[in-house]
Amino acid sequence: MHWSSILWALFQILIFPGLLFLVALALAAEFVDRKLYARLQNRLGPPWFQPLADLIKLLAKQEVVPDLADKFMFVVTPMFALTAAVTASFYIPIWSHQALCSFPGDVIVVLYLLTIPTITFFLGGWYSRSVYSMIGAARSIMQLFAYEIPLFLAILAPALLAGTWSLSGMSLFYAHRPLLSLLNLLGLAIALVALLGKLERVPFDAPEAETEIVAGSFTEYSGRLLALFRLAIDVEMVVGASLLAAVFLPFGMDFGPVAGFGLYLAKILAVISMLSLMRTLFARLRLDQMINFCWQIAAPLAFVQLMADLVAKGTIARGVMIP
Amino acid sequence: MALLQKIVTWARLKSPWILHFNSGACNACDIEIVASLTPQYDVERFGVQLKGTPRHADVLVCSGPVTRQIKDRLIRIYEQMPQPKFVVAVGTCACSGGVFKGCYNVTAGIDTVIPVSAYIPGCPASPTAIIDGVVKLLASLEATEEKAPEPVAAEE
Repeated sequence: MHWSSILWALFQILIFPGLLFLVALALAAEFVDRKLYARLQNRLGPPWFQPLADLIKLLAKQEVVPDLADKFMFVVTPMFALTAAVTASFYIPIWSHQALCSFPGDVIVVLYLLTIPTITFFLGGWYSRSVYSMIGAARSIMQLFAYEIPLFLAILAPALLAGTWSLSGMSLFYAHRPLLSLLNLLGLAIALVALLGKLERVPFDAPEAETEIVAGSFTEYSGRLLALFRLAIDVEMVVGASLLAAVFLPFGMDFGPVAGFGLYLAKILAVISMLSLMRTLFARLRLDQMINFCWQIAAPLAFVQLMADLVAKGTIARGVMIP
Repeated sequence: MALLQKIVTWARLKSPWILHFNSGACNACDIEIVASLTPQYDVERFGVQLKGTPRHADVLVCSGPVTRQIKDRLIRIYEQMPQPKFVVAVGTCACSGGVFKGCYNVTAGIDTVIPVSAYIPGCPASPTAIIDGVVKLLASLEATEEKAPEPVAAEE
Protein backbone atom coordinates (compact mmCIF):
# COMPACT_ATOMS: atom_id res chain seq x y z
CA MET A 1 0.00 0.00 0.00
CA HIS A 2 1.29 3.44 -0.92
CA TRP A 3 2.11 5.74 1.99
CA SER A 4 -0.32 8.46 0.88
CA SER A 5 -3.22 6.02 0.97
CA ILE A 6 -2.18 5.01 4.49
CA LEU A 7 -2.13 8.68 5.51
CA TRP A 8 -5.54 9.19 3.90
CA ALA A 9 -6.93 6.18 5.79
CA LEU A 10 -5.47 7.52 9.06
CA PHE A 11 -7.01 10.93 8.34
CA GLN A 12 -10.39 9.29 7.75
CA ILE A 13 -10.18 7.21 10.92
CA LEU A 14 -8.83 9.88 13.29
CA ILE A 15 -10.22 13.16 11.98
CA PHE A 16 -12.98 13.12 9.37
CA PRO A 17 -15.42 11.38 9.46
CA GLY A 18 -13.74 9.45 12.24
CA LEU A 19 -12.92 10.10 15.87
CA LEU A 20 -12.55 13.89 16.05
CA PHE A 21 -15.61 14.64 13.92
CA LEU A 22 -17.70 12.12 15.88
CA VAL A 23 -16.58 13.57 19.21
CA ALA A 24 -17.55 17.08 18.07
CA LEU A 25 -20.89 15.80 16.84
CA ALA A 26 -21.44 13.84 20.07
CA LEU A 27 -20.76 16.90 22.24
CA ALA A 28 -23.12 18.96 20.08
CA ALA A 29 -25.75 16.23 20.42
CA GLU A 30 -25.38 16.24 24.21
CA PHE A 31 -25.79 20.01 24.23
CA VAL A 32 -28.93 19.86 22.06
CA ASP A 33 -30.36 17.17 24.31
CA ARG A 34 -29.64 19.02 27.56
CA LYS A 35 -30.74 22.42 26.23
CA LEU A 36 -34.00 21.02 24.84
CA TYR A 37 -34.65 19.19 28.12
CA ALA A 38 -34.05 22.45 30.04
CA ARG A 39 -36.26 24.53 27.74
CA LEU A 40 -39.06 21.98 28.05
CA GLN A 41 -38.77 22.38 31.84
CA ASN A 42 -39.07 26.19 31.48
CA ARG A 43 -35.47 26.96 32.42
CA LEU A 44 -32.53 28.40 30.54
CA GLY A 45 -30.30 25.38 30.45
CA PRO A 46 -26.53 25.03 30.00
CA PRO A 47 -24.42 27.20 27.68
CA TRP A 48 -23.25 25.73 24.36
CA PHE A 49 -19.77 24.79 25.62
CA GLN A 50 -21.08 22.85 28.64
CA PRO A 51 -20.39 19.28 27.35
CA LEU A 52 -16.88 20.36 26.25
CA ALA A 53 -16.14 21.92 29.66
CA ASP A 54 -17.39 18.76 31.40
CA LEU A 55 -15.17 16.61 29.17
CA ILE A 56 -12.01 18.70 29.70
CA LYS A 57 -12.61 18.93 33.43
CA LEU A 58 -13.03 15.17 33.75
CA LEU A 59 -9.94 14.53 31.60
CA ALA A 60 -7.89 16.75 33.95
CA LYS A 61 -9.20 15.20 37.16
CA GLN A 62 -7.49 12.56 39.27
CA GLU A 63 -8.71 9.05 38.50
CA VAL A 64 -9.30 6.79 41.47
CA VAL A 65 -9.14 3.02 41.02
CA PRO A 66 -10.69 1.29 44.05
CA ASP A 67 -8.51 -1.23 45.89
CA LEU A 68 -11.06 -3.99 45.54
CA ALA A 69 -11.62 -3.45 41.82
CA ASP A 70 -10.02 -5.55 39.11
CA LYS A 71 -7.47 -2.97 37.93
CA PHE A 72 -7.12 -4.20 34.34
CA MET A 73 -10.82 -4.59 33.56
CA PHE A 74 -11.68 -1.36 35.37
CA VAL A 75 -9.32 0.66 33.16
CA VAL A 76 -9.84 -1.17 29.87
CA THR A 77 -13.65 -1.25 29.62
CA PRO A 78 -14.20 2.51 28.99
CA MET A 79 -11.78 2.36 26.05
CA PHE A 80 -13.63 -0.61 24.56
CA ALA A 81 -16.92 1.26 24.90
CA LEU A 82 -15.67 4.29 22.96
CA THR A 83 -13.83 2.20 20.34
CA ALA A 84 -16.88 0.06 19.57
CA ALA A 85 -19.18 3.07 19.23
CA VAL A 86 -16.76 4.89 16.91
CA THR A 87 -16.08 1.79 14.79
CA ALA A 88 -19.80 1.25 14.22
CA SER A 89 -20.05 4.66 12.56
CA PHE A 90 -17.71 3.64 9.70
CA TYR A 91 -20.32 1.24 8.29
CA ILE A 92 -23.22 3.70 8.31
CA PRO A 93 -23.89 5.73 5.14
CA ILE A 94 -24.02 9.38 6.14
CA TRP A 95 -24.26 11.87 3.25
CA SER A 96 -24.03 9.50 0.31
CA HIS A 97 -25.25 5.97 -0.24
CA GLN A 98 -21.73 4.65 0.17
CA ALA A 99 -20.49 4.26 3.74
CA LEU A 100 -16.77 4.60 4.53
CA CYS A 101 -16.45 0.82 4.71
CA SER A 102 -19.15 -1.48 3.52
CA PHE A 103 -19.58 -5.19 2.86
CA PRO A 104 -22.61 -7.48 2.59
CA GLY A 105 -23.65 -8.18 6.18
CA ASP A 106 -22.44 -4.97 7.79
CA VAL A 107 -25.88 -4.28 9.35
CA ILE A 108 -25.28 -7.27 11.64
CA VAL A 109 -21.80 -5.99 12.49
CA VAL A 110 -23.14 -2.53 13.34
CA LEU A 111 -25.88 -3.94 15.58
CA TYR A 112 -23.35 -6.06 17.46
CA LEU A 113 -20.80 -3.24 17.72
CA LEU A 114 -23.53 -1.10 19.28
CA THR A 115 -24.14 -3.89 21.82
CA ILE A 116 -20.53 -3.75 23.05
CA PRO A 117 -20.92 -0.48 25.06
CA THR A 118 -23.70 -2.08 27.13
CA ILE A 119 -21.50 -5.12 27.75
CA THR A 120 -18.70 -2.83 28.89
CA PHE A 121 -21.10 -1.03 31.26
CA PHE A 122 -21.82 -4.44 32.73
CA LEU A 123 -18.16 -5.50 32.96
CA GLY A 124 -16.97 -2.13 34.28
CA GLY A 125 -19.68 -2.07 36.93
CA TRP A 126 -19.13 -5.70 37.86
CA TYR A 127 -15.36 -5.38 38.26
CA SER A 128 -15.74 -2.19 40.34
CA ARG A 129 -16.77 -4.52 43.18
CA SER A 130 -19.04 -1.89 44.69
CA VAL A 131 -22.57 -2.80 45.77
CA TYR A 132 -24.23 -0.04 43.76
CA SER A 133 -22.23 -0.61 40.61
CA MET A 134 -22.89 -4.37 40.75
CA ILE A 135 -26.65 -3.76 40.98
CA GLY A 136 -26.38 -1.30 38.11
CA ALA A 137 -24.34 -3.80 36.08
CA ALA A 138 -26.89 -6.58 36.62
CA ARG A 139 -29.70 -4.22 35.63
CA SER A 140 -28.00 -3.06 32.44
CA ILE A 141 -27.33 -6.62 31.24
CA MET A 142 -30.94 -7.59 32.06
CA GLN A 143 -32.20 -4.59 30.11
CA LEU A 144 -29.98 -5.61 27.19
CA PHE A 145 -32.02 -8.79 26.72
CA ALA A 146 -35.24 -6.77 26.72
CA TYR A 147 -34.55 -4.05 24.14
CA GLU A 148 -32.22 -5.92 21.77
CA ILE A 149 -34.97 -8.19 20.42
CA PRO A 150 -37.33 -5.43 19.21
CA LEU A 151 -34.36 -3.38 17.96
CA PHE A 152 -32.89 -6.23 15.90
CA LEU A 153 -36.31 -7.18 14.48
CA ALA A 154 -37.14 -3.56 13.63
CA ILE A 155 -33.82 -3.02 11.80
CA LEU A 156 -33.69 -6.41 10.09
CA ALA A 157 -37.27 -6.27 8.73
CA PRO A 158 -36.42 -3.44 6.26
CA ALA A 159 -33.26 -5.36 5.35
CA LEU A 160 -35.39 -8.39 4.41
CA LEU A 161 -37.55 -6.27 2.13
CA ALA A 162 -34.50 -4.64 0.54
CA GLY A 163 -32.95 -8.06 0.02
CA THR A 164 -29.53 -6.95 1.22
CA TRP A 165 -27.64 -7.16 4.50
CA SER A 166 -25.57 -4.07 3.80
CA LEU A 167 -26.59 -0.67 5.18
CA SER A 168 -25.34 1.11 2.07
CA GLY A 169 -27.42 -1.21 -0.11
CA MET A 170 -30.48 -0.69 2.10
CA SER A 171 -30.29 3.10 1.91
CA LEU A 172 -29.89 2.90 -1.89
CA PHE A 173 -32.91 0.58 -2.16
CA TYR A 174 -35.24 2.76 -0.07
CA ALA A 175 -34.07 6.08 -1.54
CA HIS A 176 -35.26 4.90 -4.95
CA ARG A 177 -38.52 3.45 -3.57
CA PRO A 178 -39.73 6.08 -1.05
CA LEU A 179 -43.23 4.58 -0.87
CA LEU A 180 -41.82 1.32 0.45
CA SER A 181 -40.06 3.06 3.34
CA LEU A 182 -43.47 4.37 4.46
CA LEU A 183 -44.18 0.71 5.23
CA ASN A 184 -41.40 0.82 7.87
CA LEU A 185 -42.82 3.65 10.01
CA LEU A 186 -43.84 1.19 12.72
CA GLY A 187 -40.27 -0.14 12.73
CA LEU A 188 -38.94 3.41 13.15
CA ALA A 189 -41.10 3.94 16.24
CA ILE A 190 -39.99 0.61 17.76
CA ALA A 191 -36.33 1.32 16.99
CA LEU A 192 -36.62 4.75 18.65
CA VAL A 193 -38.00 3.20 21.83
CA ALA A 194 -35.34 0.48 21.78
CA LEU A 195 -32.65 3.14 21.28
CA LEU A 196 -33.83 4.78 24.51
CA GLY A 197 -33.16 1.47 26.24
CA LYS A 198 -29.77 1.10 24.58
CA LEU A 199 -28.69 4.57 25.73
CA GLU A 200 -30.07 3.89 29.24
CA ARG A 201 -32.13 7.06 29.17
CA VAL A 202 -35.41 7.94 30.85
CA PRO A 203 -37.81 6.04 30.93
CA PHE A 204 -35.37 3.11 30.67
CA ASP A 205 -32.68 4.47 33.00
CA ALA A 206 -33.09 1.90 35.79
CA PRO A 207 -29.41 0.79 35.35
CA GLU A 208 -28.11 4.21 36.39
CA ALA A 209 -31.03 5.42 38.49
CA GLU A 210 -29.30 8.08 40.57
CA THR A 211 -32.11 8.25 43.12
CA GLU A 212 -31.84 4.52 43.92
CA ILE A 213 -28.39 3.18 43.17
CA VAL A 214 -26.17 6.31 43.16
CA ALA A 215 -24.88 6.13 39.57
CA GLY A 216 -25.24 2.45 38.68
CA SER A 217 -22.28 0.96 36.84
CA PHE A 218 -20.39 4.27 36.90
CA THR A 219 -20.48 4.72 40.70
CA GLU A 220 -16.75 4.08 41.16
CA TYR A 221 -15.56 5.73 37.94
CA SER A 222 -13.87 9.10 38.08
CA GLY A 223 -11.66 11.36 35.99
CA ARG A 224 -10.54 10.22 32.56
CA LEU A 225 -12.28 6.84 32.70
CA LEU A 226 -15.64 8.48 33.45
CA ALA A 227 -15.00 10.97 30.64
CA LEU A 228 -14.48 8.07 28.21
CA PHE A 229 -17.70 6.38 29.33
CA ARG A 230 -19.70 9.61 28.99
CA LEU A 231 -18.20 10.24 25.58
CA ALA A 232 -18.99 6.66 24.54
CA ILE A 233 -22.66 7.16 25.46
CA ASP A 234 -22.80 10.43 23.49
CA VAL A 235 -21.12 8.87 20.45
CA GLU A 236 -23.50 5.92 20.73
CA MET A 237 -26.41 8.36 20.68
CA VAL A 238 -25.13 9.96 17.45
CA VAL A 239 -24.33 6.60 15.84
CA GLY A 240 -27.72 5.17 16.84
CA ALA A 241 -29.45 8.24 15.38
CA SER A 242 -27.39 7.89 12.17
CA LEU A 243 -28.34 4.20 11.97
CA LEU A 244 -32.06 5.04 12.21
CA ALA A 245 -31.59 7.85 9.66
CA ALA A 246 -29.81 5.51 7.22
CA VAL A 247 -32.32 2.66 7.52
CA PHE A 248 -35.63 4.51 7.88
CA LEU A 249 -35.04 7.99 6.39
CA PRO A 250 -32.58 7.50 3.50
CA PHE A 251 -33.69 10.56 1.50
CA GLY A 252 -31.75 13.37 -0.10
CA MET A 253 -28.48 11.47 -0.35
CA ASP A 254 -28.29 12.07 -4.13
CA PHE A 255 -28.06 15.87 -3.90
CA GLY A 256 -24.31 15.97 -3.45
CA PRO A 257 -22.16 16.09 -0.32
CA VAL A 258 -23.16 19.53 1.01
CA ALA A 259 -26.93 19.15 0.79
CA GLY A 260 -26.62 15.51 1.86
CA PHE A 261 -24.61 16.52 4.92
CA GLY A 262 -27.12 19.23 5.87
CA LEU A 263 -29.98 16.78 5.52
CA TYR A 264 -28.05 14.24 7.61
CA LEU A 265 -27.66 16.80 10.41
CA ALA A 266 -31.39 17.61 10.19
CA LYS A 267 -32.27 13.91 10.38
CA ILE A 268 -30.14 13.13 13.44
CA LEU A 269 -31.36 16.36 15.06
CA ALA A 270 -34.91 15.10 14.60
CA VAL A 271 -34.07 11.71 16.15
CA ILE A 272 -32.22 13.29 19.10
CA SER A 273 -35.09 15.74 19.67
CA MET A 274 -37.50 12.80 19.84
CA LEU A 275 -35.22 11.14 22.42
CA SER A 276 -35.12 14.27 24.63
CA LEU A 277 -38.86 14.76 24.24
CA MET A 278 -39.44 11.25 25.59
CA ARG A 279 -36.95 11.93 28.41
CA THR A 280 -39.03 14.94 29.42
CA LEU A 281 -42.41 13.24 29.11
CA PHE A 282 -41.86 9.98 30.95
CA ALA A 283 -40.79 8.88 34.41
CA ARG A 284 -38.51 5.95 35.12
CA LEU A 285 -39.96 2.47 34.60
CA ARG A 286 -39.13 -0.38 36.95
CA LEU A 287 -37.03 -3.13 35.39
CA ASP A 288 -39.92 -5.63 35.30
CA GLN A 289 -42.20 -3.05 33.67
CA MET A 290 -39.51 -2.34 31.10
CA ILE A 291 -39.00 -6.02 30.25
CA ASN A 292 -42.76 -6.65 30.08
CA PHE A 293 -43.15 -3.68 27.76
CA CYS A 294 -40.37 -4.80 25.45
CA TRP A 295 -41.37 -8.45 25.26
CA GLN A 296 -45.17 -8.13 25.32
CA ILE A 297 -45.71 -4.98 23.26
CA ALA A 298 -42.60 -3.90 21.35
CA ALA A 299 -41.42 -7.35 20.19
CA PRO A 300 -44.89 -8.47 18.84
CA LEU A 301 -45.21 -5.11 17.05
CA ALA A 302 -41.78 -5.68 15.54
CA PHE A 303 -43.04 -9.09 14.34
CA VAL A 304 -46.00 -7.32 12.70
CA GLN A 305 -43.47 -5.10 10.93
CA LEU A 306 -41.52 -8.18 9.82
CA MET A 307 -44.71 -9.80 8.45
CA ALA A 308 -45.69 -6.61 6.61
CA ASP A 309 -42.27 -6.48 4.96
CA LEU A 310 -42.42 -10.16 3.99
CA VAL A 311 -45.91 -9.75 2.48
CA ALA A 312 -44.73 -6.69 0.55
CA LYS A 313 -41.72 -8.63 -0.71
CA GLY A 314 -43.98 -11.50 -1.83
CA THR A 315 -46.40 -9.23 -3.71
CA ILE A 316 -43.52 -7.44 -5.42
CA ALA A 317 -41.97 -10.77 -6.42
CA ARG A 318 -45.29 -11.90 -7.97
CA GLY A 319 -45.59 -8.61 -9.83
CA VAL A 320 -48.87 -7.63 -8.12
CA MET A 321 -47.40 -4.40 -6.80
CA ILE A 322 -44.70 -2.43 -8.55
CA PRO A 323 -42.90 0.03 -6.26
CA MET B 1 1.73 24.30 28.98
CA ALA B 2 0.45 27.65 30.27
CA LEU B 3 -2.31 27.59 27.65
CA LEU B 4 -3.24 24.03 28.61
CA GLN B 5 -3.42 25.05 32.26
CA LYS B 6 -5.67 27.97 31.31
CA ILE B 7 -8.03 25.68 29.40
CA VAL B 8 -8.19 23.24 32.30
CA THR B 9 -8.91 26.05 34.78
CA TRP B 10 -11.65 27.37 32.50
CA ALA B 11 -13.22 23.90 32.28
CA ARG B 12 -13.08 23.48 36.07
CA LEU B 13 -14.80 26.81 36.64
CA LYS B 14 -17.51 26.06 34.10
CA SER B 15 -18.37 22.59 35.32
CA PRO B 16 -18.57 22.27 39.13
CA TRP B 17 -20.39 19.07 40.00
CA ILE B 18 -21.61 19.01 43.56
CA LEU B 19 -22.28 16.38 46.16
CA HIS B 20 -24.70 17.22 48.94
CA PHE B 21 -23.86 15.82 52.36
CA ASN B 22 -25.82 16.34 55.56
CA SER B 23 -23.35 16.32 58.43
CA GLY B 24 -25.93 16.53 61.18
CA ALA B 25 -28.04 19.52 60.13
CA CYS B 26 -31.62 20.12 61.26
CA ASN B 27 -32.67 19.76 57.56
CA ALA B 28 -33.47 23.44 57.02
CA CYS B 29 -30.23 24.06 55.13
CA ASP B 30 -30.71 20.82 53.20
CA ILE B 31 -34.13 21.97 52.03
CA GLU B 32 -32.60 25.26 50.91
CA ILE B 33 -29.80 23.43 49.06
CA VAL B 34 -32.35 21.25 47.29
CA ALA B 35 -34.44 24.37 46.55
CA SER B 36 -31.43 26.01 44.90
CA LEU B 37 -31.16 22.99 42.54
CA THR B 38 -34.76 23.33 41.29
CA PRO B 39 -35.69 24.77 37.86
CA GLN B 40 -36.62 28.02 39.67
CA TYR B 41 -32.92 28.89 40.13
CA ASP B 42 -31.60 26.65 37.30
CA VAL B 43 -27.99 26.22 38.42
CA GLU B 44 -27.30 24.19 35.27
CA ARG B 45 -26.80 27.63 33.69
CA PHE B 46 -23.44 27.63 35.50
CA GLY B 47 -22.77 23.97 34.74
CA VAL B 48 -23.63 22.87 38.29
CA GLN B 49 -25.00 19.34 38.46
CA LEU B 50 -25.95 17.32 41.52
CA LYS B 51 -24.14 13.97 41.56
CA GLY B 52 -24.90 10.99 43.74
CA THR B 53 -21.38 9.67 44.18
CA PRO B 54 -18.26 11.37 45.61
CA ARG B 55 -16.22 9.95 42.71
CA HIS B 56 -17.98 12.27 40.24
CA ALA B 57 -18.08 15.37 42.46
CA ASP B 58 -15.82 18.43 42.54
CA VAL B 59 -17.52 20.36 45.33
CA LEU B 60 -18.73 18.84 48.59
CA VAL B 61 -21.66 20.89 49.91
CA CYS B 62 -22.01 20.22 53.65
CA SER B 63 -24.67 21.42 56.05
CA GLY B 64 -24.75 21.10 59.79
CA PRO B 65 -22.35 20.99 62.74
CA VAL B 66 -20.41 17.76 62.49
CA THR B 67 -21.85 15.29 64.97
CA ARG B 68 -19.52 12.68 66.42
CA GLN B 69 -21.48 9.98 64.65
CA ILE B 70 -21.05 11.56 61.23
CA LYS B 71 -17.43 12.73 61.66
CA ASP B 72 -15.76 9.55 60.36
CA ARG B 73 -18.24 9.27 57.48
CA LEU B 74 -17.60 12.88 56.46
CA ILE B 75 -13.85 12.29 56.39
CA ARG B 76 -14.37 9.10 54.39
CA ILE B 77 -16.63 10.81 51.82
CA TYR B 78 -14.09 13.62 51.51
CA GLU B 79 -11.27 11.16 50.93
CA GLN B 80 -13.29 9.31 48.28
CA MET B 81 -13.46 12.44 46.11
CA PRO B 82 -10.78 12.70 43.42
CA GLN B 83 -8.48 15.76 43.32
CA PRO B 84 -8.98 18.71 42.87
CA LYS B 85 -11.83 19.02 45.39
CA PHE B 86 -13.43 21.80 47.38
CA VAL B 87 -15.73 21.99 50.38
CA VAL B 88 -18.53 24.49 50.92
CA ALA B 89 -20.01 24.89 54.41
CA VAL B 90 -23.68 25.90 54.16
CA GLY B 91 -25.41 27.46 57.17
CA THR B 92 -24.26 28.94 60.45
CA CYS B 93 -23.92 25.50 62.08
CA ALA B 94 -21.61 24.29 59.33
CA CYS B 95 -19.54 27.46 59.56
CA SER B 96 -19.02 27.53 63.33
CA GLY B 97 -21.27 25.08 65.11
CA GLY B 98 -23.99 27.70 65.58
CA VAL B 99 -26.33 27.13 68.48
CA PHE B 100 -24.82 23.68 68.98
CA LYS B 101 -21.33 25.03 69.64
CA GLY B 102 -19.96 23.55 72.84
CA CYS B 103 -22.43 20.66 72.94
CA TYR B 104 -20.91 17.34 73.97
CA ASN B 105 -22.06 15.55 70.78
CA VAL B 106 -20.79 17.92 68.07
CA THR B 107 -17.49 19.28 66.84
CA ALA B 108 -17.75 22.97 66.06
CA GLY B 109 -18.15 23.32 62.30
CA ILE B 110 -16.93 21.53 59.19
CA ASP B 111 -13.46 23.12 59.26
CA THR B 112 -12.58 21.32 62.47
CA VAL B 113 -12.67 18.07 60.45
CA ILE B 114 -11.86 18.79 56.79
CA PRO B 115 -10.49 21.90 55.00
CA VAL B 116 -13.25 24.29 53.89
CA SER B 117 -12.99 26.64 50.89
CA ALA B 118 -16.17 28.71 51.27
CA TYR B 119 -18.44 29.61 54.18
CA ILE B 120 -22.09 30.50 53.57
CA PRO B 121 -23.74 31.69 56.81
CA GLY B 122 -27.48 31.89 57.42
CA CYS B 123 -30.03 30.00 59.46
CA PRO B 124 -30.95 28.59 57.01
CA ALA B 125 -28.82 29.98 54.18
CA SER B 126 -31.16 31.06 51.38
CA PRO B 127 -30.81 29.55 47.88
CA THR B 128 -29.60 32.89 46.49
CA ALA B 129 -26.91 33.03 49.21
CA ILE B 130 -25.82 29.47 48.38
CA ILE B 131 -25.53 30.23 44.66
CA ASP B 132 -23.68 33.47 45.50
CA GLY B 133 -21.28 31.51 47.71
CA VAL B 134 -20.53 28.96 45.00
CA VAL B 135 -19.96 31.72 42.42
CA LYS B 136 -17.57 33.48 44.85
CA LEU B 137 -15.74 30.22 45.43
CA LEU B 138 -15.26 29.81 41.68
CA ALA B 139 -14.07 33.42 41.35
CA SER B 140 -11.51 32.88 44.11
CA LEU B 141 -10.34 29.70 42.37
CA GLU B 142 -9.76 31.65 39.19
CA ALA B 143 -7.64 34.16 41.12
CA THR B 144 -5.60 31.63 43.07
CA GLU B 145 -5.31 28.66 40.72
CA GLU B 146 -2.18 26.59 41.49
CA LYS B 147 -2.20 27.77 45.11
CA ALA B 148 -4.44 26.46 47.86
CA PRO B 149 -7.68 28.49 47.68
CA GLU B 150 -8.25 31.08 50.38
CA PRO B 151 -11.47 30.74 52.36
CA VAL B 152 -14.19 33.09 51.13
CA ALA B 153 -17.40 34.14 52.87
CA ALA B 154 -20.67 34.89 51.11
CA GLU B 155 -22.98 37.68 52.11
CA GLU B 156 -25.91 36.58 54.17
